[in-house]
Amino acid sequence: MDTFAPDLQEKIQSELTRYETPRSAILPVLHLIQDYYEWIQPDHVAWLERDFGLSRVHVQEVATFYSMYRLEPCKPFRILFCDNLVCAMMGAEKVMDKIRDHIGSFPEGKCPFSLQGVPCLGVCDGAPAMLVNKDRHLKVNRDNVDAILASYKV
Amino acid sequence: MEFPKILTRFENIPNSRALATYEKHGGYEAARKVLGQKPEEVIALVKDSGLRGRGGAGFPTGLKWSFVPKSADTVYLLCNNDEGEPGTFKDRYILELSPHMLIEGMIIAAHAIGAKKAYIYTRCEFYDEIRWMNEAIEEAYKAGYLGANLLGTKLHIDLDHYIGAGAYICGEETGLISSLEGKKGQPKLKPPFPAVSGYLGKPTIVNNTETLAAVPWIITHGAAAYKAMGTEKSPGTKLFCVSGPVKKPGVFERPLGYPLKKLIFEDAGGMIDGKQLKAVIPGGASAPVLLPAEIETLTLDYEAIAAAGSMLGSGAVMVIPHDQPMMELLRILVNFFHHESCGQCTPCREGTGWLANIVQGVEEKTALPEDIEKLYQIALHMEGRTICALSDAAAMPTKAITKKFADELKQTIYANSRLGG
Ligand SMILES: Cc1cc2nc3c(=O)[nH]c(=O)nc-3n(C[C@H](O)[C@H](O)[C@H](O)COP(=O)(O)O)c2cc1C
Ligand code: SF4
Ligand code: FES
Repeated sequence: MDTFAPDLQEKIQSELTRYETPRSAILPVLHLIQDYYEWIQPDHVAWLERDFGLSRVHVQEVATFYSMYRLEPCKPFRILFCDNLVCAMMGAEKVMDKIRDHIGSFPEGKCPFSLQGVPCLGVCDGAPAMLVNKDRHLKVNRDNVDAILASYKV
Repeated sequence: MEFPKILTRFENIPNSRALATYEKHGGYEAARKVLGQKPEEVIALVKDSGLRGRGGAGFPTGLKWSFVPKSADTVYLLCNNDEGEPGTFKDRYILELSPHMLIEGMIIAAHAIGAKKAYIYTRCEFYDEIRWMNEAIEEAYKAGYLGANLLGTKLHIDLDHYIGAGAYICGEETGLISSLEGKKGQPKLKPPFPAVSGYLGKPTIVNNTETLAAVPWIITHGAAAYKAMGTEKSPGTKLFCVSGPVKKPGVFERPLGYPLKKLIFEDAGGMIDGKQLKAVIPGGASAPVLLPAEIETLTLDYEAIAAAGSMLGSGAVMVIPHDQPMMELLRILVNFFHHESCGQCTPCREGTGWLANIVQGVEEKTALPEDIEKLYQIALHMEGRTICALSDAAAMPTKAITKKFADELKQTIYANSRLGG
């Protein structure tokens, strides 16, 4: 395939006219692409320029500036664990250790999870908090984390 | 203490996010009332109410609205729903309870400043809240509260929802504008202020979610009723986010001027597991830490907290227990600001980098006790000389921790060094 899937093209097109300038569509379009293909590939950036007129330079600088865009192939389940002030006080590091153990328990290359520490997720009343893809989990602790992860199967 | 609930009045009401529920409880009546009035009258009322911005700086809202040039043809209203200040989760709660309250506040604000287009800018990690907000916007359009000829008037106000992509700096109002323009979220030099030249160079008012959500109540009940709550210089109610090892962490709506200790030890239930209070960060990660002795009689209003050497900020009250090593919090703070610095200004980019490096030295056993003083000195030179306030936001808490906990931090370094360990 040398361009985006047709249904995605339609969505991209409507974003381009949704804001005052096409450039404003860059962030939403990158979200759409990422939701569709899991990560943003170099080809995608090229197609955005060729087929939709979005400058490669402009797209690339946005893609690299914002931390939620994935520019490399990724695991099916991405754990973003808050390691900021409140979650740290509530034991985030120990839970993350447990997650690292969980990840380490899979045979080489078979683990469907990745783990990354992220800044405050805006849910500190439920600390420690994490996202698994788009699911929010609150009050994650060493006792419940394995069960939460076990519910994610490829 | 008796006070009406404004922002949390939909707590415990079933189906509170639905338009029908909002309408049943008087929703959109304030917008209806205002649209027949002149914009200047609306601005005067909001000025008179004393409402101050809830995004952190506490700038008077009506005054900000009045800065939009009268001659402007295109004006934008932006709602700052980026909520990235560590410890803060109040705007999220407004979307959870009542997204229509925000929409109504935005209709009123848009009318007051003459904006025909408004945006809500929400951080992308709020997946559920984004969906709820989108549903509410759709409902509001269908019911004729948004779009052309809204509420049967000649006015036209469009509202759209824009989603960020993970950058704390986009919470800074000019960083937010850059982001909405489809660029890196880099703040812009002020002046010109956004009210004169903002989104795409047009006059733009940026307000926090909580600020805008308070507006309908003020319109309905009047400035005097709002001023009757809170203090003279900090009128009204505010959402406080209490977090850390307390029995009932959460969002509490209280009049400004409310006693901090009462909030922590009564409303939030006090500390868990017999922990003792070591310190409090009263207004988000950028706010200097306060010791128990400093909060004994402290009240939650802009002036009192400033007088105590900290700031009310976003209203994020983080409770620190006796067994919490301060070096860990310092490390998290400096790494956070270093990571989030957009890199445009040398004092911020390099300063946060130096802070992070020195603190890293503790883990690597290369730090020396005199490094604590060095951290303080670096922070001192990061203040007041950059494009935006992130540099100050990194410097202020660093100064406070290194000063108030110097002995503990030095001991940590000693214990961790080749000398001690
Ligand atoms: C580094 C930095 C981050 C900020 N983050 C936020 C934020 O997440 N939400 C917010 O409303 N204001 C934030 N602000 C404050 C905004 O720049 C701006 O003052 C505010 O949105 C204005 O709205 P208000 O007058 O209603 O408070 C931040 C400021 C700085 C310097
Ligand atoms: S102070 Fe820091 S975050 Fe703000 S503009 Fe300068 S470098 Fe960027
Ligand atoms: S500090 Fe972890 S969610 Fe806020």
